[in-house]
Amino acid sequence: MKKLLSGLLAMPLVLTLVGCQKPADPTPAPADETAEGAVLNVWTWNEEFWGFLGKYYADEVVDEYTLKKGDVTIKRTTYPSDGGAYQDALDAALLNQANAAADDKIDLFLAEADYILKYTNSDATMDVKSIGVTDFSNTYKYTVEAASDANGVVKGVSFQCCPAAVIYRRSIAMDVLGTDDPAAVQEALKDWDAFNAVAAAAKEKGYTMIPTTNATYRVFSNNATSPWVVDGKLNIDANILKWMDQSEEFVKNGYTAYTSNIWGDEATSEMFADGKSMCFFGPAWYFNFSMTNAQDPEKGCMGDWAICQGPQAWFWGGTWMLAATGTDNPTMVADIMNTFINNEEVCDALVKNEAQFSNNQAVNNKYAEDETFGSEFLGGQNPNAVFAELAKNIKFQNVTQYDQLCNEGLQTYFTEFLDGQVATREDAINNFKDYIRTTYPSITVE
Amino acid sequence: MQKTEKLPKTKSISYSRWGYIFIAPFFIIYTIFTFYPQLLTVYNSFFEYYRDGLTIIGPRFVGLQNYKTLFSLNTSGYVPIFKFMGNTLWLWIIGALPQFTIAMLLALFFTSTRLDIKGQQFFKTVIYMPNLIMASAFSMLFFALFSQVGPVNQLLVSSGMALKPINFLGMRVTVQSLIGLMNFLMWFGNTTILLMAGIQSIDEALFESARLDGSTSTQVFFNITMPLLMPIFIYVLITSMIGGIQMFDVPQVLTNGHGIPNNTSTTLIMYLNNFLGISKNYGMAGALSVLLFFITAVLSGIVFKTINRK
Repeated sequence: MKKLLSGLLAMPLVLTLVGCQKPADPTPAPADETAEGAVLNVWTWNEEFWGFLGKYYADEVVDEYTLKKGDVTIKRTTYPSDGGAYQDALDAALLNQANAAADDKIDLFLAEADYILKYTNSDATMDVKSIGVTDFSNTYKYTVEAASDANGVVKGVSFQCCPAAVIYRRSIAMDVLGTDDPAAVQEALKDWDAFNAVAAAAKEKGYTMIPTTNATYRVFSNNATSPWVVDGKLNIDANILKWMDQSEEFVKNGYTAYTSNIWGDEATSEMFADGKSMCFFGPAWYFNFSMTNAQDPEKGCMGDWAICQGPQAWFWGGTWMLAATGTDNPTMVADIMNTFINNEEVCDALVKNEAQFSNNQAVNNKYAEDETFGSEFLGGQNPNAVFAELAKNIKFQNVTQYDQLCNEGLQTYFTEFLDGQVATREDAINNFKDYIRTTYPSITVE
Repeated sequence: MQKTEKLPKTKSISYSRWGYIFIAPFFIIYTIFTFYPQLLTVYNSFFEYYRDGLTIIGPRFVGLQNYKTLFSLNTSGYVPIFKFMGNTLWLWIIGALPQFTIAMLLALFFTSTRLDIKGQQFFKTVIYMPNLIMASAFSMLFFALFSQVGPVNQLLVSSGMALKPINFLGMRVTVQSLIGLMNFLMWFGNTTILLMAGIQSIDEALFESARLDGSTSTQVFFNITMPLLMPIFIYVLITSMIGGIQMFDVPQVLTNGHGIPNNTSTTLIMYLNNFLGISKNYGMAGALSVLLFFITAVLSGIVFKTINRK
């Protein structure tokens, strides 16, 4: 009796332990090659692409995290990008990909320019030509280069092309420069000296040139002539130092509203109609997806914006879809990729309805030449006419897999100096170096 | 009758076996989920073991190298763990001082038979409530409240108390104060309830006789309440301190993981978290954890010895 009782008591415990173990054979090979998985897992760090997938690809939007296409359920897993949280979670899942059950395997995941190399240069992604994505003739060259590994094997595609511009407030430009015409404003902002002169004029009128010193960071970092890591050592490019000079001067002269993070409440509050900042910086996705405050029906200022190239040509990111090795839905993965680069109807809709600058040159150019095409947000200006020109010069270079945290970290620690919390610029850079040393043991910091 | 005759076969009946069976689940689970990982942490601390992108580097035995690195100067010219240990203690103290003072006062008020406060149950619930909120959510709330465009700054500017928004989340004094304030708000209710339990366990007759003898409240507190409360008080203090050493979520969320400004609000666990971020540096994180284990043990020992000297 006692033995029976103790046996019973121990039972739940043993069962729990058994329950913890993974089934021994998690990947039953599909019986025949054509049978593909019932679940397609998509990993993202925001809702931008997911929204397009729901609108232009899926048959049915089930809920915020679930779509249906034929018999296949498309599921979304999302982690925030900030601080590398998305990369972190994605790495763990990809390293576990081989042990995951077929329906839990990642099939398609998104990656940014700042760390795409990590995935393209690993076995976690696969050659998309082998699954049927072969026609890149319409895409922009840099988007293919960025998604290729060191040997030129293409591992994914982007649904957008991201030449970036100065996004300025028409009403403020009118007040400061006496014109809001993009060509005239471009002439006034044609280089950094001219930009600084306008900043002084804007201050006279009670405006600030930029919402935060971090707003111009990407222009400088994108024009860097060396990568963040050279021969395994941390390297701070001369152009980053130029950004520091500018930021320091802008804070001293009161040309900036804040010194905060560009995604924070401070900087984004400047997008409202009562904001006093003249220039924002970004590509098409920035003003259509990240400037929601400006589009606010009550407090926003829809139509009071326009774009021009600004002081320096640059581009910012792009979101790439990469095919995960081990996917059980290769056909659908390829189908999604082809849809967003080669399906003219979909690319057309992205440009027309979503204010995207798509990754299909034919479609983009068609709208660039269409004089009746204009963006409501930009007060009728044709963004494609500007972007099509800028897109010609994009080169994907000086990129490392460490860029996201280097860029975030440098801005954070330098901002402390701008805020007067560390004594010298040197101290701020040292704090940044210490951060990188802790974060990336593989980088030598001197 | 027949049954009783069988008894002499065993000389005594021992029920201790049941005791062991009942406590076994705890020990088994403790061993698997706590003790084994702890040993693994110690083991890992002697290895170079991290990730570079999707490539796993190591594990490669490096002896005490990780500990050496932990105690070496960084680019800014200080030993990170010493600075962060200082931060951690300081952040704990500025939260714990008001926490214990207020909690002690409240506990005395609530237990005083002379005051006989009505609606105690209500107050106890209210002061305990902040503890029910997840620390990170609480911190996020403060992050939004105290941003330069947040409600606190709007109030200050519109009432004329400040000319322009104050950068609460960018300055050392305000960041540290906010962390202290949050820790205080979250924990003073919990401390109050524990101290009340302690005071209530003291024999009421002692208070009554002291009062009959004409002692003042101060005398009663220092000569009766405090000495008899000591065991509970030490327990609460040590647990609070151990919690303080493990301080993480509040400063992590409030400073976006960077311990701004100038690493003055980086705690030891935030430092540990940086090692375990994108690189999953088990070697260095292991070494730091082992060190933390010893610090916690030593601090607890010191506090225990000093307060319990008699």
